[in-house]
Amino acid sequence: MDLLNYLGIGFSVALQPINLLYCFVGVFIGTLVGVLPGIGPVGAMSLLLPTTFKTTPEAAIIMLAGIYYGAMYGGSTTSILVNIPGEAASVVTCLDGYQMARQGRAGPALGIAAFGSFIAGTIAIIGLTLLAPPLANFALRFGPPEYFTLMILGLTVLIYLAHGSMPKALIMAAFGIILGLVGLDSINARSRLTFGRMEFVDGIGLVPIVMGLFGISEVLWNIEQTIRRDIFKTKIKGLLPTAKDWLDSKGALARGSLLGFFLGILPGGGAVISSFISYAVEKRVSKHPERFGKGAIEGVAGPEAANNAATGGAFIPLMTLGIPPNVIMAMLLGAFMIHGVQPGPLMMKQNPSLFWGVITSMYIGNAMLLILNLPLIGMWVQVLRIPYRILFPLILLFCLIGVYSVGNAVFDIYVMILFGIIGYLMKKFDYEGAPLVLAFVLGPLMENNLRKSLIMSQGDFSIFFTRPLAAASLILAIFLLVSPLIPWMRKKRKEIPTEETA
Amino acid sequence: MKQKDLISSLFWLVIGVGVSYGGYDLELGTLHDPGSGFMFFWVGLLMMGLSLGIFIQALRKEGMAGELKTLWSGVQWKKVIYVLVALVFYAFAFQFLGFIVCTILLLIFLFKVVEPQRWSVAIFGAVLSALTTYLVFKIWLGTQLPQGILGIV
Repeated sequence: MDLLNYLGIGFSVALQPINLLYCFVGVFIGTLVGVLPGIGPVGAMSLLLPTTFKTTPEAAIIMLAGIYYGAMYGGSTTSILVNIPGEAASVVTCLDGYQMARQGRAGPALGIAAFGSFIAGTIAIIGLTLLAPPLANFALRFGPPEYFTLMILGLTVLIYLAHGSMPKALIMAAFGIILGLVGLDSINARSRLTFGRMEFVDGIGLVPIVMGLFGISEVLWNIEQTIRRDIFKTKIKGLLPTAKDWLDSKGALARGSLLGFFLGILPGGGAVISSFISYAVEKRVSKHPERFGKGAIEGVAGPEAANNAATGGAFIPLMTLGIPPNVIMAMLLGAFMIHGVQPGPLMMKQNPSLFWGVITSMYIGNAMLLILNLPLIGMWVQVLRIPYRILFPLILLFCLIGVYSVGNAVFDIYVMILFGIIGYLMKKFDYEGAPLVLAFVLGPLMENNLRKSLIMSQGDFSIFFTRPLAAASLILAIFLLVSPLIPWMRKKRKEIPTEETA
Repeated sequence: MKQKDLISSLFWLVIGVGVSYGGYDLELGTLHDPGSGFMFFWVGLLMMGLSLGIFIQALRKEGMAGELKTLWSGVQWKKVIYVLVALVFYAFAFQFLGFIVCTILLLIFLFKVVEPQRWSVAIFGAVLSALTTYLVFKIWLGTQLPQGILGIV
């Protein structure tokens, strides 16, 4: 009964006109950035974060969350029609989606992607609704050692899943931690690595860093090469999948939803990995695996369900433990903190309207997305035709306005440009931005919990090994870190798809 | 030798040394009561260790001749420089010229110089974008945007 009560609170918040408006804006912009290659959900969220400063925390988080799951919907459109994924989680949709479009079945491909996303999104939200309360209660027993080791584990999984060299990903994480610690020491208020600049006393802002790394650097990277996009010229008709399509996809939708949801919960996991694994699973269980890559509808339904379900799952560690499992959730954690809310086990009790308001808004957002994506598909195809030479000056302009409006400081623009250059060079030298951003957000929390743990244990490191959850997290993290030294684990790691959230 | 990794690892080595020194300077504290520089010092050391690892690996690996040059060959790198100069100029002149003037100048430059368009498209696009963003951000969302000496906005 409690649950119904909480859902009632949630809907009373989510259905307020202003929150409905923000939810709509969020899913609309999410679909837009999903459709447009060259800007992803992380960039879009950091761009729009400043616009939420004057709103309530509920409206802000509802909108930012909408961008995330909206992008997953939009990403499939470009995969199917242009064979270019709008964002990384839709890479695998290209394989069969584009083939379906070439066979004149673009409509059913887009239709099953949208319906599949809706069904999976809803299943994930139900899972989130059911799982979050008991987990939050359980997390109340966690102390600083558990938090510290869970964060280490989250970061390690992300590093493990980073493509390319693990030492490089580790360096990025270390650099992120250092950047996160710049400013006043939270325990004794001593200023650290501020180089005498007042602007650094409050720390380096999340928005200039993320916009630099994911907005500016992306533009720099794109303008130095010539981007060509050939849009599939076909009339899109019959968006509703046929009865046979449904029959072929139902297993894929169910498996994709469950797989995506549980992989989404895991630290470092997320939409990209779950979509790839779902595709592999579908191919394996299919009676006709030879159809895959030639326009099999299950190859669209499974991954699209998985990447949407993963977005729902990813909210669980953030909302119940206060630990973001991926970069996008790290952005959301930043947004919560800017609005003076600390996500974690107490949030559900201290801030029920926010907690349940955000969750229920996702039900509404999913329904909005279905309406946005099916009847308006023609509009999104038009958006695809906007040439990059028109688009990139506007992306730069939004970055500039966005970063300035955070603190009305020109200094932040310089910081963003600097991180734009760093991000561009990182791409050239094969370093990834995701571990840096996650570590940047987790850094201060990790330091705080490490110092508290050591004070608690009077300097004895065994505190991390004598508490079961802390010990398990740490041992798993150590195992993942040394795994590249073991040949068969190294091979396995190379087979895992990469998580890129630009 | 993998030139790319050699250079980047040396860069991170220098950063690691700097961070560790900064941490040491800030006071390490004791294990019972870690000080402000504790985390910096150890994370800096970790960076040093990792960058040395990458450096040694890079020395052993076979790399292409002139690998660094190939990073920028065949691409239009001049555009990157143009955009960066334009962004720095924007930041520099933002308070002085004000939002609208500065934005129109930036967009005309980007539309015209970086990816050449017709003058009419560049000017119309720049003015329209500047006015629309002004409307959305300043009027609708109440963002503070500088007026500049011309006092236009």
